[in-house]
Amino acid sequence: MDIIQINYRDSRPKAPPPENVELKFSERAVRELEQLLTHYPDKKSAMLPALWIAQREYGGWLPSNAIAEVAVRLDRSYAEVEGVATFYTMYHPGHPVGKHLIEVCTCLTCSVCGAYRIADYLKQKLGVDYGETTEDGMFTLEEVECLDACDRAPVLQVGDQYIGPVTREDVDKLLERLRNTAEPTSVKLADEIVQTQLHASDQEKVRKG
Amino acid sequence: MGSAAEQKLVKITVNGTEVEVPEGELIVESVKRLGLEIPIFCYHPRMKPVGMCRMCLVEVGFKQADGSVRMMPKPQAGCTLPASENLVVVTDSESIHRDRKGVLEFLLANHPLDCPICDRGGECPLQNNTIFYGPSTSRFIEVKRHLPKAVPLSEYVTLDLERCIQCGRCVRFTEEISGDSQLAFRFRGAEMQPSTFELTDFTSKFSGNVIEVCPVGALTSSKYRFRSRPWDLETKASICTECGNGCNVWLDYRSGKLVRINGRTNELVNEEWTCDRGKFGQEYIDSPERLDRVLLRKADALHESSWPEAMDAIAARFVESGDSSAMLVGPRATNEDLYLAREIVTKTFGSRNLDHRWTKNLPNNPEATAVHSRIADFETARAILIFGNDLSDEQPILYLRVRKAWSQFNVPVVVISDRATSADAFAEAVVRYAPGEEVEILTSLSGMVRGGGGSEDLKRASEILRGGFLLAASSSVFNSASGEATAVALRDLCASAGTPDGYNLFALGANEQGARDLGILPTEGGKDTKRILEACASGEVKSLWLLHCDPFSLYHDRGLVERALENVEFLVVQDILATEATLFASAVLPSCSHAEYEGTYTNIERRVQRVPRILPPKGSARPPWQVFCDLRLAATGAMPFFGPSEVMEAIAKEHSQFAGVSYSGLAGEGCVLASADSALASAGIEGGGG
Repeated sequence: MDIIQINYRDSRPKAPPPENVELKFSERAVRELEQLLTHYPDKKSAMLPALWIAQREYGGWLPSNAIAEVAVRLDRSYAEVEGVATFYTMYHPGHPVGKHLIEVCTCLTCSVCGAYRIADYLKQKLGVDYGETTEDGMFTLEEVECLDACDRAPVLQVGDQYIGPVTREDVDKLLERLRNTAEPTSVKLADEIVQTQLHASDQEKVRKG
Repeated sequence: MGSAAEQKLVKITVNGTEVEVPEGELIVESVKRLGLEIPIFCYHPRMKPVGMCRMCLVEVGFKQADGSVRMMPKPQAGCTLPASENLVVVTDSESIHRDRKGVLEFLLANHPLDCPICDRGGECPLQNNTIFYGPSTSRFIEVKRHLPKAVPLSEYVTLDLERCIQCGRCVRFTEEISGDSQLAFRFRGAEMQPSTFELTDFTSKFSGNVIEVCPVGALTSSKYRFRSRPWDLETKASICTECGNGCNVWLDYRSGKLVRINGRTNELVNEEWTCDRGKFGQEYIDSPERLDRVLLRKADALHESSWPEAMDAIAARFVESGDSSAMLVGPRATNEDLYLAREIVTKTFGSRNLDHRWTKNLPNNPEATAVHSRIADFETARAILIFGNDLSDEQPILYLRVRKAWSQFNVPVVVISDRATSADAFAEAVVRYAPGEEVEILTSLSGMVRGGGGSEDLKRASEILRGGFLLAASSSVFNSASGEATAVALRDLCASAGTPDGYNLFALGANEQGARDLGILPTEGGKDTKRILEACASGEVKSLWLLHCDPFSLYHDRGLVERALENVEFLVVQDILATEATLFASAVLPSCSHAEYEGTYTNIERRVQRVPRILPPKGSARPPWQVFCDLRLAATGAMPFFGPSEVMEAIAKEHSQFAGVSYSGLAGEGCVLASADSALASAGIEGGGG
């Protein structure tokens, strides 16, 4: 964000009117959203799962059109959806994420057990810093807070999987495996979460018997 | 209306003093009854409490049966704490003072403290609270965070991110009051910042209010930024003349120049809000386009002249023309101007041709332009019908009131319009018609309200409206071809729902309602706007006077206006700004803007409000009523009025609705004119006002 010359109306873009927002959800996504809406008293409440659907549909991150589309589909304002998307760290608004998102936990237990050594090794191996994506668009590296897996410290999260305790050799093997994985794990994670949400009420029924 | 008797009172103890307050009242409000104050930032009386800033911490306990008090272990936020029986509140203890110091120290940890260059310096709640409740020094020696200091959110609002204390007032304003939700908090924790979607333009029609609700200098007015310090400004109470709502404002000026406009609280009119048109649209007062000299046409050019010379020339022409003279009046003239304009046209000139209406259709039935409800009545209405154009464009502050009725009092709203409007978002039923079909739609709706049946999209609307409603329509309905028939159909709809007194066809211009009440209309056999213009074009009308109006911008038929102004023999243009019409003028009389002379305006709910003289007139500009007095003196030798209050006395004598209205009685909230038919304006109101 630059300091912009004030009082210069034309330099500031206008948000698109809702009717001009390109709706890119697949038929399946639209069906899923409709089903999710039945779980909640109003449309606003479905914002988190709707953002997960959008993150899956838009390839693991949320470009501005994704945020606008969720806003249009839920009858909310763009700003409100953007506020929610930027609040939670597992949504990735604004900047693209590689096929595989490698999250390094550097909280207390992991850092004591050598998380920074692993992180430095990853940085060197991938040639990127935290928050950056490799040139081939394959990997994004991120530093995260406690992943609640101190028993496996130091731990990495890739997609819906926790890997730990990890050594340098494990990192080599992991990167090799991910390079050969066709399906982007960042998209897969989003899908997993959507599916969990969709079946949450079924599980509730089972539990209640 | 919620009367006090229905509310249960509870006894609470504040700092050892017992006081009875309504149950559920927030403690931050209750302590005001004892003259105490709890410091606040995020709390705003017109928005829901959120307890974000923690400034209003109080100690809380409960009186036990044995008379002892059991205190809670931790302080509570006074803005989210409702009053209940036996509640004990301490606002003044040692530990609360310490807590307040702690909260302020945190708020100031990253606040830039650039008060010496801040627009808010001197009127800043953060400054005030720090002085009264804060620590005198800071323990922080670390470098403060640095963020962009001039992020333009719109043409009017500039955001200084460093100063923001993240109270969320602006975000809640757009969510709860204006309803467009254009601002939201992005990111979280210390990085949280209020912002529009990806810093796109903040296009809300009410964006200026966030500048005033901001308790620090984070949201600043792009127009006022760095122009003045608050203590260098002089302030006077005025009203806004951009539309007919008559919003109360503070007009801040410095060295005779308008600097800014802030909302002034009047619960019955605008609460405390302003729209952007009113807040930022009054720069014309100091515009270089202002007329400041008397001009007379000699041969082909306008030459500078003097008032006496111009008066003589004009009086001679108009008196000679008699009934072939005419006057057209714009929306920005005070009641005093209008009264004398009518006097001078009908008595001095002896003409019947006078009109203030500029719509395509000119209704002859005075019932068509009746107004029965007051603005505040909408809050307690059974239902509200918005008909015609977008209410948020025509009457922005009435739109806020309707939205409040819906959001706070669950009043169902029906929108019948030929286009998408802002109110569609919260309307229970929306009916669209193609232009020209309005009468048909309204007639079938009336039938359904009476007897049911009909098509699906009207069904919902008729169910809501059955049983009574208040109508919000404006004189713009007369811009459609079937204007008068539409007004009849609307009246019929109100009657069939059982609330004929819910009919309101609000005026649009600043004092259009005043012109309606003072009868600025053709007298028996006279010509209306259209026929005056036609008669000018054909040469039948020889002298035309334009008072505060530019027919080119007000009238739909440009060709007719051009023919009229070209062919009329003598044209007087009395206006504030140079307009297209001045090019055709035989005499140009510079006039004062509403801030430059004293007068009264009648707003859409027929509330007469007084505006003082605040700024000096530009050049030789004079208020119209004075010009009319002089003209009368020159032509007939009639005794002039020596002040607008004398004119008001004359109005009160002559017009029964104004009976009892006097300048001394107009201080404060103004006064609402007696209704001509004096019917109960609250017929559409649930409970009939308790």
